[in-house]
Amino acid sequence: MLHGKKAGRTGYLKEKYRDMIFYILLIAFPVVQFSFFWIGVNFNSILMTFQKIEIDVTAGQYVTRWTLETISNAFQNMFGDPAMLQIMWTSVLSWFLILIIGTPLGLIFSFYIYKEFPLSKAFRVILFLPSILSAIVMATIYNFFVERAIPAAASEWFGIQGVSGLFTNTQTRYGTLIFFNIWVGFGTSVLMYSNGMSTISQEIVDAAHIDGANGLREFWYISLPLVWQTFSTFVIVGVAGIFTNQINLYALYGGSAPLNMQTYGYYLYMRTVAAAGNSAEYPPIAALGFIMTLIAVPLTLLVRRLLEKFGPKED
Amino acid sequence: MKSSGTRSAAPREKFTVFSAILLGLLILYVISLFIPLFWAFVTSFKDQNTDFRINVIGFPKEWIIDNFRTIFMEFSYSVDSVAGTRQVGVGMLYLNSLAYALGCSFCATIVPCITAYLCARFPYKFSKVICMTVIIVMVIPIVGSQPSEVQMARMLGLYDTIWGLWIMKANFLGMYFLVFFGIFKVLPKGYSEAAKVDGAGNFTVLFRIVLPLVRNTFFTVMLINFITFWNDYQTPLIFMPSFPTISMGMWQMASTNIQNFATVPMRMAGAIIMLIPILAIFLAFHKRLLGNLTLGGLKG
Repeated sequence: MLHGKKAGRTGYLKEKYRDMIFYILLIAFPVVQFSFFWIGVNFNSILMTFQKIEIDVTAGQYVTRWTLETISNAFQNMFGDPAMLQIMWTSVLSWFLILIIGTPLGLIFSFYIYKEFPLSKAFRVILFLPSILSAIVMATIYNFFVERAIPAAASEWFGIQGVSGLFTNTQTRYGTLIFFNIWVGFGTSVLMYSNGMSTISQEIVDAAHIDGANGLREFWYISLPLVWQTFSTFVIVGVAGIFTNQINLYALYGGSAPLNMQTYGYYLYMRTVAAAGNSAEYPPIAALGFIMTLIAVPLTLLVRRLLEKFGPKED
Repeated sequence: MKSSGTRSAAPREKFTVFSAILLGLLILYVISLFIPLFWAFVTSFKDQNTDFRINVIGFPKEWIIDNFRTIFMEFSYSVDSVAGTRQVGVGMLYLNSLAYALGCSFCATIVPCITAYLCARFPYKFSKVICMTVIIVMVIPIVGSQPSEVQMARMLGLYDTIWGLWIMKANFLGMYFLVFFGIFKVLPKGYSEAAKVDGAGNFTVLFRIVLPLVRNTFFTVMLINFITFWNDYQTPLIFMPSFPTISMGMWQMASTNIQNFATVPMRMAGAIIMLIPILAIFLAFHKRLLGNLTLGGLKG
């Protein structure tokens, strides 16, 4: 009996040991990968903020020295250079416009799909289409359409001569760019919102109908509060977009977007591409990114807190 | 994880003025979406000199396929390196895209899948640490770490290789970890336990029982990842400049000054060539892509 118990315990320990070996073998790669490409990369990025890298021509290698000059220059650049202040304004404005125009449209489109009104299934597929098509393809088509087809149509169909391309015209180019970003940006959010709405209990909807809530009132008082969690997630994740969203500028303009249309996301990417692997160019970019992260983290947490505090409650 | 299963239960509602306005807006949107795509398609069959110059918005006087033929036969992506300039043809661009998108999408799916399995089925303290890490990383926005990533890739010898990007994309972070974690948490343990009683080891249970059970979700996540990587031109542009993809080719064509390709019909033909594979995938799998996706995750 005692022998049997001992054998059982040994078997149990052997199995636990085998489980542990299996666990370690499979978790090792993801952990090592994470250590290098998240912890290592971000740690190195912080270190670069306090470095200056120069090329030693005689030795033919990079020389790194520690300095506060890089972060200090980045700070002055970000808050003192008129060009960077313009980029800050465009980044915030673009985020705000896409949020206040694109999000309500996405929500009401989702409501239409959720209610299974006519053609809702087709709309669901079509609204998702731009998000799976390549940004570079959509941008190229849109670019030439507004530059060539719209002026030609104005002239041939409406007899209006001298209409310039919407991106060429400095008065219309920013609006055209924001329209493009909203136009191609419904896909995932509409899918998420409509799927979220479809989980709303039918009893709640029926009760609202009995109380006379239909159409807009149902959307406002029932559907919107119940997808608030999904909406909040999009807004919270989107806050970082102020610093990372390129609003498709690289696809439309390559490295030569007009200054008053540039965003932080575009500026950082463009500088990384322009560096072309030259390490000496990296510390100033890392320092700018570091300052932006210092702003983005508390801002994200603040927006999260505000949405939790002032958002509608499900009950 | 949320399910979209209650959708079909919702009965048809009364069509109000609000609904009619929404229908109008949606129709306008669809028209605005299809007109440029249709214009691009029609333009790709025009000749620049004899047709497009005088006929920008009409149908082609003569439908020609020369633009497509020229792109396939003559277009090439210029790769500049220390050794000089090398030209990469369309066939190779497609192959590079396929290698990049297939490899990255597989790695970016299998790693979160297996990590989520380990965390869901082996309740060690370290599993909790992994779950917390995923949540924290999702909430903290990090900006401007790309230069550091390039340095790391160079240091590890992964820079400018396709397989290097496979490794760089093989992380467990992000939404798909939570998707798989949710599935593994509720997956009945009966099959695995029965197999273990029959003498199966952990590897057999994972690869012959568990992974086949989640193959639908796995395939959907991989499909979404594949589309994302196929369309991505910015990551290869920075991390593997010597192995241009078809997206990079399109990006170069959109801004090229080479006379043959710097015309609108030629660029539209390039866009159509780039669109076709993804459109085919979307048409074949749109029910799977649209049906399985929710914010909480994907249903199996």
